[in-house]
Amino acid sequence: MAGGFRVLHLVRPFLAFLPEVQSADRKIPFREKVIYTVISLFIFLVCSQLPLYGIHSTTGADPFYWMRVILASNRGTVMELGITPIVTSGMVMQLLVGSKIIEVDNSVREDRALLNGAQKLLGILIAIGEAVAYVLSGMYGSVSQLGTGNAILIILQLFFAGIIVICLDELLQKGYGLGSGISLFIATNICENIIWKAFSPTTINSGRGAEFEGAVIALFHLLITRTDKVRALREAFYRQNLPNVTNLLATVLVFLIVIYFQGFRVVLPVRSKNARGQQGSYPIKLFYTSNMPIILHSALITNLYFISQLLYRKYSGNFLVNLLGKWKESEYSGHSVPVGGLAYYVTAPSSLADVLANPVHALFYVVFMLSACALFSKTWIEVSGSSAKDVAKQLKEQQMVMPGHRESNLQRELNRYIPTAAAFGGVCIGALTVLADFMGAIGSGTGILLAVTIIYQYFETFEKERATELGFFGF
Amino acid sequence: MDAVDSVVDPLREFAKDSIRLVKRCHKPDRKEFTKVAARTAIGFVVMGFVGFFVKLIFIPINNIIVGSG
Repeated sequence: MAGGFRVLHLVRPFLAFLPEVQSADRKIPFREKVIYTVISLFIFLVCSQLPLYGIHSTTGADPFYWMRVILASNRGTVMELGITPIVTSGMVMQLLVGSKIIEVDNSVREDRALLNGAQKLLGILIAIGEAVAYVLSGMYGSVSQLGTGNAILIILQLFFAGIIVICLDELLQKGYGLGSGISLFIATNICENIIWKAFSPTTINSGRGAEFEGAVIALFHLLITRTDKVRALREAFYRQNLPNVTNLLATVLVFLIVIYFQGFRVVLPVRSKNARGQQGSYPIKLFYTSNMPIILHSALITNLYFISQLLYRKYSGNFLVNLLGKWKESEYSGHSVPVGGLAYYVTAPSSLADVLANPVHALFYVVFMLSACALFSKTWIEVSGSSAKDVAKQLKEQQMVMPGHRESNLQRELNRYIPTAAAFGGVCIGALTVLADFMGAIGSGTGILLAVTIIYQYFETFEKERATELGFFGF
Repeated sequence: MDAVDSVVDPLREFAKDSIRLVKRCHKPDRKEFTKVAARTAIGFVVMGFVGFFVKLIFIPINNIIVGSG
């Protein structure tokens, strides 16, 4: 080890410059953790609503429209980048470490510090890169319209917002709050989106005059103002291009289904070799990798869309570019929608009518979704250190054994369940997403799944934290 | 036919494994499900409305900011 060059050491000179949250030097009471979490959330939400200063317009096509909710990003605001920098850097680092390109010895304190520093540095670089790309690509009007001064101002605003998100997440991770900032921001953004679509008081002019955007508000408004109650009901339930009550009911249904499947788990009995054979259990959930397949799938689709739209705008006559995706401006919402090529086939059909109109599209989408989720899920357990081998190693380090099995058989026993749970769990996640999208659930199937799994995890953390506080573990 | 088998066999094996896994799974009963659903729904609604009200408050504020800009 003495003479070996190590990639992580490249990060050492930068450590001094990176903003860092001090580790909690004392045990933070539960109530204080809740307060820190809530404050972080409010900072994020306020940033999500603050408009960027200096932008000329946001009326151009939005290549990220499809993924904004999931990436906790809001168009034209300080939080334009959302959590993209931190999620991307996290994934990249995870892949590099998991595939051994970067060697890390987790038992060495310095290695862990360097790894964290590397991830943070990468996040900052990605924030800068994305901010520059946004400005140069004309997202806020062409650079000549903006002027150099405003362009730099916008980049700085996006950059500092990226820093804020990174620091907020670190604050929560370092023990001051509950769970991770990323999960909190994603879940809140999705929940807000759904509640907004249900109760939004804003009005939109359509062919039938002014209509409320919110499905519930529209329902009551239509029932009150229309003389023909039956037609009013039908319109409230089935109106196009705006959230309707059917969408809301579909959302609730998907919500309940996800919660039910969350409870599926194989419980393996484990016993401590010390402490006089203290009994315990190690649960392997059906959703073993939780929402990670969806996140990876979303990241893949987002990049495909971005590249496809970029190319289509410049080379729309090229055969290969058309093969990748054809785009058309939507009449209602002003964002582009894929209408041909690969980008179209990996997009969820917008309704059941759409499914019937083009069954090949629907079939391709379903197969792609299920396969991608299963593959991502299976791959993720290897790179994230939660494969059967890794779990067996952890249990061994904790001096845990399975009754009735020799120590050397522990990994084999885990191998019977973990890879299958990962792959099949991924398929189930994909299937639920498809189901939600076909039913027209608000927030997209992906979003609902993410929100529910995140909130579920929060309650598990909540219970654990409170149990600790109340001394059930003898603290 | 060998080509088809090389695709079908792994899928069949996977399906068998999956079925075994599901049978082995502990599944939530009505009480457990109701409890988790209620708590998750509360969390969902609380988070949603927090975001909703921040957004609601900022609409007029943003109109002022952007209007003067």
